[in-house]
Amino acid sequence: MMFKYDENNKYHRFGKTCMIIFLSLIMFVEIWWLLSIAANTNVFPTPAETFDAFIEFFENGYSHQSAWSIIWSSLSLFIEGFLLALVIAVPLGLFLGYSKMLNTFVTPMIEVLRPIAPIAWAPVFIYGINYSVGPILVVFIGIFFPLLTNVIFGVKKIDQNLIDASRTLGASKTQQFTKVMVPSAVPYLMNGVKVGLGVGWMCIVAAEMYSPVSIGVGYCLQSMCQNSLWPSVFAILVVIAILGIMTTSVAEYSQKAIAKRMGME
Amino acid sequence: MSDETSQTISNIKEGEEFIVIDGIRKVYRKDEQETVAIDRIDLKINKGELVSIVGPSGCGKTTILRMIAGLLEPTEGTITIAGKQCTEPGPDRGMVFQDFALFPWRSVRRNVEFGLEVNGVPKEERRERAEKYIELVGLGDFKNAKIHELSGGMKQRVGIARAMVNHPDVILMDEPFGALDAQTRNIMQAQLSNILEKTEQTVIFITHSVDEALFLSDRVVILSKRPSTIKEIIEVPWPRPRDRSAPEFTAQRKKILEELEKENVMFTK
Repeated sequence: MMFKYDENNKYHRFGKTCMIIFLSLIMFVEIWWLLSIAANTNVFPTPAETFDAFIEFFENGYSHQSAWSIIWSSLSLFIEGFLLALVIAVPLGLFLGYSKMLNTFVTPMIEVLRPIAPIAWAPVFIYGINYSVGPILVVFIGIFFPLLTNVIFGVKKIDQNLIDASRTLGASKTQQFTKVMVPSAVPYLMNGVKVGLGVGWMCIVAAEMYSPVSIGVGYCLQSMCQNSLWPSVFAILVVIAILGIMTTSVAEYSQKAIAKRMGME
Repeated sequence: MSDETSQTISNIKEGEEFIVIDGIRKVYRKDEQETVAIDRIDLKINKGELVSIVGPSGCGKTTILRMIAGLLEPTEGTITIAGKQCTEPGPDRGMVFQDFALFPWRSVRRNVEFGLEVNGVPKEERRERAEKYIELVGLGDFKNAKIHELSGGMKQRVGIARAMVNHPDVILMDEPFGALDAQTRNIMQAQLSNILEKTEQTVIFITHSVDEALFLSDRVVILSKRPSTIKEIIEVPWPRPRDRSAPEFTAQRKKILEELEKENVMFTK
């Protein structure tokens, strides 16, 4: 029997998308391979050499550390930085969105700090404060600004009618804030989390290059470069990409799930 | 209808003078510019009455309602309800919004419970009272539904249940059926008329539709164009349910439409 593609069948649509993604990745590896052969240098290994180094990394680890402990070392710093940003940026964003005066007062300070690339803080925090706290603070800076901006925006964008409705139903100022403003800012908050996680993950890799105590992916990358272990370097780049995709996917999925649950798709 | 659902907060008897709007004037100021939205409104509304306010668009109907709700302050004049001057929103006045203004993250039941929740009613009682009103507006099967799953007419029935569950003395309705299609609108009007027949609640109803005003109200207040004043107040003595095709109904509708037409001509000139 001939297979016939049906646009209205969700499994068919899903299959089609998977096929396209698969072909895209095949094409990517193919181009990489060709470029690598054309370049003909040790610095740019082929996908096959990278794959071997990737397997080798997971079998033997690097610098007396297992691959999983290296990955976990980076992830734990990342999670700590993220939680710190969440705890500070969310309440601050809610208040800044709520009070116009406070917002006008704090905005200049934020605008002065925002253009500084989070990575620029890495040497300052790591050499200036502490090798173990420094990278966390760099991640914190990376996640903090997108999160803060989105939460402020979320509170400001609130439908005034919902506030009026809650007032006519007898909600106090505090209740208007907790029961109307906060929930209606949640989808924006999740958007901030999504953007922030992407930036944060870039920060951790960069920050670790400065930190002599954290044996994470950033450290491995730098050390391998210094020792000219180019296939391993590319294997680590693949690890970084996979972890980055996983973080953003989790964020994207939870954003959609929460928006759906709150009826605000 | 049980006794409990028809309770209201004040102890003024039906038919007694209840809401007094005295010399209301509303001026919007922005920088040096002044816009007089409402020139002068005096109106007395009795307990249990249903009064509609109609007028040309932009005449400040909604402004009047929002001042009664306590969401806006009049520039001059006072509004008293049951002898108490109203300056801020209170549980004695419930409001129904044109665009429903329901909380999308709450289910139907939790939307209706909102007023009880913020006023500290215990959970069990809250649920029981909310469900009673959800039944009353005919949404019993949808009490756990999300707001985006409902049609426009169903959404507004949630809005009505949410306003009524607090047992307010007054229900303020701001073009509640304005966003609905004509057929749903007629059904909603008949149902609202039915629900209100059984309660002591006083209703102030803003509408664009003269037909709707005549179908529902005890009195119709016609406003002039901006800056608004009351142009005429028409008593509607006919028993309910009313027949839209009755000769006196169509005659009265024609008369009011002609009045409004004059305002609109002047307004657009």
